[in-house]
Amino acid sequence: MIWSAFKLSLLVVSIATVVVGVVGLAFAFLLAKRNFRGKELLDAVLTVPLVLPPTVTGYYLIVLLGRRGLIGNYVYDLTGWSVTFTWLGAVVAAVVVALPLMIKASRASIESVNPQYETASYVLGKSRLETFFRITLPLARRGILAGLILSFARALGEFGATLMIAGNIPGRTQTMPLAIYEAVASGDNEQAGLLALILTVVSVAAVYLTNRLSRSQAYG
Amino acid sequence: MLTVEVKKTLSDNRGESFTLDAEFSVNSGITTLLGASGSGKTTTLRLIAGILRPDEGLIAVGSQIYFDSTRKIDLPIQARRVGFVFQDYALFPHLTAEQNIAYGVRSENKKSKLDRAAEMLALFHIEHVRRRFPREMSGGEQQRVALARALASDPAVVLLDEPLSAVDVETRGRLLDEIEDVQRKSGVPFLYVTHNHAEAARLGEHRITLKDGRVVQEETSLKKPL
Repeated sequence: MIWSAFKLSLLVVSIATVVVGVVGLAFAFLLAKRNFRGKELLDAVLTVPLVLPPTVTGYYLIVLLGRRGLIGNYVYDLTGWSVTFTWLGAVVAAVVVALPLMIKASRASIESVNPQYETASYVLGKSRLETFFRITLPLARRGILAGLILSFARALGEFGATLMIAGNIPGRTQTMPLAIYEAVASGDNEQAGLLALILTVVSVAAVYLTNRLSRSQAYG
Repeated sequence: MLTVEVKKTLSDNRGESFTLDAEFSVNSGITTLLGASGSGKTTTLRLIAGILRPDEGLIAVGSQIYFDSTRKIDLPIQARRVGFVFQDYALFPHLTAEQNIAYGVRSENKKSKLDRAAEMLALFHIEHVRRRFPREMSGGEQQRVALARALASDPAVVLLDEPLSAVDVETRGRLLDEIEDVQRKSGVPFLYVTHNHAEAARLGEHRITLKDGRVVQEETSLKKPL
């Protein structure tokens, strides 16, 4: 049980972190650099899984992606497949709950880059896109990296939304936090303790690294 | 030759507005744009570079029109060939001196970029800072790198926004000599903004005085020592 939960968690979290990195960075850029109607509302909607009970987030995911969900019913009609009770459902849950951390950290970091550097880059003939990748992104990289690490840790610890949308099927959708719950429920404190230890070590390391990144500023 | 005829009204968040209504031209050599803070000097430079857009008017360098409100021409900032030396230099903190200078070279070839950077480092006698980051350089060195970066992009005009305000007085005289020397070698017209009368007098040649957003004096005078 431990080994399969460990492997599944690793798979789910790896994919979720990559998705969160790309999607989160795109939203962070949009929120930091563009002005449009409903911008702060978009930020609020994307951030709310941070404070919502994960079961509520999971409930909304079922409403959206379930077999009879707003989006899910089309997918099911077309393919006969649904993301619920699959390991991909666990990925979706991990992405949605971890995304706010990535967006918060990278938006703040991108906004803290002195716009004078971007202006200087435009004057030197560089496009917005090239300026973003060669100036803004490298100057904001500490905050972005911190956001990625926190997102990784949050995705690894995801329980409630995962249980709602992916269930708790050993070997198929049972990630480490779910395995801990089941181990405790069946009185297997040894397994629960070992898994808890792994998650604790990873989480402490993530918070420690994030603090170090935010405290030592490389550039003024 | 740089031709500027611009109107621009700016308002701050207290609702107070300021109108720049300036008309002047810059020929070869160094022209100083003198004025107290709040007279519209920096705004003028930002309009020329395309960082700000005039409400109406005309900006042209030689036969190339950067902005013309009657003909609805507004060249994007990237397409204007302007070298800009910012007041605090705005050197990219994550790039070395060499990388900062090479960044602006208008070439797709990496070697020609580095060749151009090396040429600029030699012109300013700062080969020793080639691999240093801005935070590892003195104020004078940063100022030279900023000017080198602006010139490396092969500009049609160079705009300098109080480039010596962050440099100590002793270094200032030497840097002014260098700026004059480099201007002569490059042959590109320089528009030099300052609020410092001594600096303006020292650079001599052409001088434009701005007050409350208007040109109050245009003169050509002799140089005086700083």
